[in-house]
Amino acid sequence: MKSFLRLWLVAGLLLGSMAGAQAASSKLIVAFLPKSKGNAYFISCKAGAEKAAKELGVELLFDGPTDSNAAKQNEIVENWITLGVDVIAVAAENREGISTALRKAQKQGIKVITYDADAMPDARSFFVNQATPEGIGYTLMDEAARLLNNEGEFAMITASLTAANQREWQKHIEARLKEKYPKMKLVAVRPCDDLKDKAQSEATAMMSANPNLKLIMSICSPGVPGAAEAVKQAGKTGKVKVIGLGLPSENRRYVHEGVTDTVVLWKTEDLGYLTIYAGVALAKDELKKGAKSFKAGSLGTFEIQGDNILLGKPFSFNKANIDQFNF
Amino acid sequence: MKRDWKALLLRHETILLLVLIAEWVFFYYAGTSTNRRGVVVGFGTLDRQFDILRHSCEIGLLALALTPVIITAGIDLSVASLLGLCAILFGKFWHDAGLPIPVAIALTLVLGGLAGALNGTLITKLRLPPLIVTLGTYSLFRGLAEAITRGAVTYTDFPAGFLFLGQERWLGLPTQAWIFFAAAIAIWLLVHRTTFGRSFRAIGYSPEGARYAGLPVERRVALVYVLAGVIAAVAAIIYTARLGQAKADAGLGYELFAITAVVLGGTSIFGGAGSVHGTLLGVAAIAVLKNGLATLPVVMRMNAAEEMAGLLTGALLLVALTSSVIPKLLARWHTRPHVTVSPTLKPKSTA
Repeated sequence: MKSFLRLWLVAGLLLGSMAGAQAASSKLIVAFLPKSKGNAYFISCKAGAEKAAKELGVELLFDGPTDSNAAKQNEIVENWITLGVDVIAVAAENREGISTALRKAQKQGIKVITYDADAMPDARSFFVNQATPEGIGYTLMDEAARLLNNEGEFAMITASLTAANQREWQKHIEARLKEKYPKMKLVAVRPCDDLKDKAQSEATAMMSANPNLKLIMSICSPGVPGAAEAVKQAGKTGKVKVIGLGLPSENRRYVHEGVTDTVVLWKTEDLGYLTIYAGVALAKDELKKGAKSFKAGSLGTFEIQGDNILLGKPFSFNKANIDQFNF
Repeated sequence: MKRDWKALLLRHETILLLVLIAEWVFFYYAGTSTNRRGVVVGFGTLDRQFDILRHSCEIGLLALALTPVIITAGIDLSVASLLGLCAILFGKFWHDAGLPIPVAIALTLVLGGLAGALNGTLITKLRLPPLIVTLGTYSLFRGLAEAITRGAVTYTDFPAGFLFLGQERWLGLPTQAWIFFAAAIAIWLLVHRTTFGRSFRAIGYSPEGARYAGLPVERRVALVYVLAGVIAAVAAIIYTARLGQAKADAGLGYELFAITAVVLGGTSIFGGAGSVHGTLLGVAAIAVLKNGLATLPVVMRMNAAEEMAGLLTGALLLVALTSSVIPKLLARWHTRPHVTVSPTLKPKSTA
């Protein structure tokens, strides 16, 4: 029994001395929460965040659920509150769920900023908005027009006909079409339920129903490789072009094969970088409510609309640059 | 007299209590600090202690529900899935059917009990092993929750009065802690102070013996599962109020935490022995470990508080289970220091 107790005592002391190594950090601590920490999209956001943290001399914490789990996001935020970090940056999995925890953080003097997916407006100071619906819609439509020399038939694949963001993007695409490209015609809009297989069969059906189809545009990410596969299998590579909103990694193969011309998304590294810069500026009282613009290190100045910091126009990935991005 | 004292000290619950105190003291010293803004933060703050309590309530309720189940030599793997299903049902009753919150809660509790009755009936009427039955309902309940919402619908926008239950304090403590304490006392009284509850141990120790003694074994076993269902529904309501959302993934994986807490608390997984206060200590030991770890800056900087907690909970369970054996091993060692025969253990003869 005695030696048993001694064993416990030694183990306890060892652990204690290990934990005692904590030094009260004089650096600002910024905590960065992704929707899920294994997701390539957020890992590349993190790369930008790390770069910014290094430039600013702040400490960066990066933790998140292994799956997109709203309850775990809350627990991690509560842990950070307990740890007394200075800034919490969040990509919210659930708008309402996370807001309770974020309000609690604000009450304790922690600055809260959201990126990628917003929380309730009263639960954060600013939202770093990666892309406005207008920016996405116009960029996609302009790219389609550029590829088709401003004339010809094209079709669109959406995730679902009811999803709010998809409808918003579609609205801006159609507005741009009407305004600038009278010789182009949108002949079909089909939903793919966010499934690659369904997108592929829809694209095949579109091509046989519209023999003059020149381009397929997908505004949901699984739709881009889905449409590309359909075009490739129909032997229409080059005759029917494919563009859309998606991750470079999912489309790299088709871009190199010449099936897909352009993939549109934002630079996720820049999103992380800008978020950290804005968060630190908030903590240092350099960024205040009502500001119209914000300068973020080497990326330059960004526009602020209300409480949204805009990352700016989406980025087009094509054959020339797609290999530089690994998300 | 002296023997009694020693026996008490070596009891599983006492050892667990000492572990809990050690954990607490350790985190109090290692996990409390003053931050840049001069605010005391970390484990030692009252807020954190309340957080721990708040986070323990749902898993604690499930562990309470599982204690009588495991004492009767059963198991219920479906409790956390049922939590998810009840959360969705409650959300649907309130949001889609437009029922007032109290009615929605009452209906959810009834349905939780019915789901428990399904487990109980399959186990007692069809004589299927509880592990198999609840493995089935584990998938069934979660699958139903996902089917109802198509994995996409999340119920939110609950009124402030309801969120009070999960996010605010009442009489100084987090509101849900009162419900948890009330449930703990009720189940403790049931298991330890009523003949009804004491029969669980007899059933778990030897169902045939209990049957010959004239106990209505089937009916009591079924009731234990109904009780587990109702408590899982209570946990669902609290979970929904804490997060302000009802989603199909509510409580995912909680059943394993709850079973861990029960076993850590000294309840035999083979049934026949166990205590509610042991379970409560088990829940507390896991909760303090998990939440305490997250307050250590060293752990925080590894960005893996969750993973560390899982690892150490596992270690704690193994240590706790072996620690009741270690003193015996040591005793053997001391009394027969020169014997070279490997010290194999005799099987425990009494429960």
